[in-house]
Amino acid sequence: MSDSTHAAHTDGEEHNPFVAHHFDNMGQQAGAAKLGMWLFLATELLMFSGLFLAYFICRMWYPDMVLGAHEYLSKTAGGINTCVLLFSSWTMAMAVRSAQIGKPGSKEDAAKIKKYLLLTLLCAGVFLVVKYFEYSAKFEHGMLPGKFYTAHLHGYEIEGLPHIFFGIYFIMTGLHGVHVLVGMAVMIWIYIRASRGEFSRDNYAGVENTGLYWHLVDLVWIFLFPLLYLVK
Amino acid sequence: MSSLAYLKGKELENPVECHHHVAPVSLYVVILLALFGLTGLTYAVSFADLGPLSLPVAMAVATLKASLVVAFFMHLKDDDRYNLFIFLGTLIFIGIFFGFTLFDMQARDALNDEQRTFVRAEDERNAGNNPAIGISNDPARLAAWEAKHGSHDEEGHAEEEHSEGEKAEGEH
Repeated sequence: MSDSTHAAHTDGEEHNPFVAHHFDNMGQQAGAAKLGMWLFLATELLMFSGLFLAYFICRMWYPDMVLGAHEYLSKTAGGINTCVLLFSSWTMAMAVRSAQIGKPGSKEDAAKIKKYLLLTLLCAGVFLVVKYFEYSAKFEHGMLPGKFYTAHLHGYEIEGLPHIFFGIYFIMTGLHGVHVLVGMAVMIWIYIRASRGEFSRDNYAGVENTGLYWHLVDLVWIFLFPLLYLVK
Repeated sequence: MSSLAYLKGKELENPVECHHHVAPVSLYVVILLALFGLTGLTYAVSFADLGPLSLPVAMAVATLKASLVVAFFMHLKDDDRYNLFIFLGTLIFIGIFFGFTLFDMQARDALNDEQRTFVRAEDERNAGNNPAIGISNDPARLAAWEAKHGSHDEEGHAEEEHSEGEKAEGEH
């Protein structure tokens, strides 16, 4: 970029302490950070797409396997988790918004970001607790992947190849659950940084990128829920 | 020299800047309510018997929900278009991945029969050596399971019957 634009921009604006020395201004720094985040999200989408493809192939080849086995997943638990995740996406979007309009150094504005982050963390916790109860029911009934499948010994007659369906179920929801855990860890880190008063309208890329990641976790679940729990 | 960078049709004052857009709270609330409504719709639709239509309908609703999240919660509607380009580019590659793989999976059997590509596998099948694809009934594992849980016959379930059913399933 030309020197003239640089000079024009930095003129009359005090130095933002959060801008790293190799960036011209916060706009450029935040744009670069967000671009990097989107590239990471692209790789995440490609990773999950492989699992979705495995699901569709199994569905295509063994329709009765999917139809028979999906009746054993709890629609209610899946529905509650969907609503919890959607709500957590909203609280996350509100956390990002609070950071976007927060005044630098304002304790109240930082408290707002923290409040919404805590709500998001709480929702993530509820999601995992529901998931825990779902998983333990499956473990108890022997509805496990591949050679670990023992539901037929527990007296459950499921059409087709249920051990393959439960393989797909556990890998898809398991990888998604790992993403929820990672998201919680990142949110705790962002919460600590918000407590230090780092985030405001001058510097909110960290909150925004955490939000982008969290929305992706929601996005994956939006497709997982109807495919695994609902579809006939 | 004036800048030649544009965002949503408007010339940017500073081309290296990331666009700063703050959406009103009311918009976020409307989007959340729409997402809840659509979730209720998929849930209700799953109880109606739509037959072969159920998958396309569920996917259409999920895609609509995902678009709302991406456009508003992830700000792609008002964001730098380059991020949208990355996102849509990813979707195109996922489409290629899905399209070619599913096409291959569907056409493979007919092609194998026509061109006799996997002759050895076919010979094995004709000799009755089917690959084991049913539920694992490995005797050692069954014995271990019984040692832990007691005999499974107590649960009123005939094992032999089931394994035969599985075999029949694997042979079709």
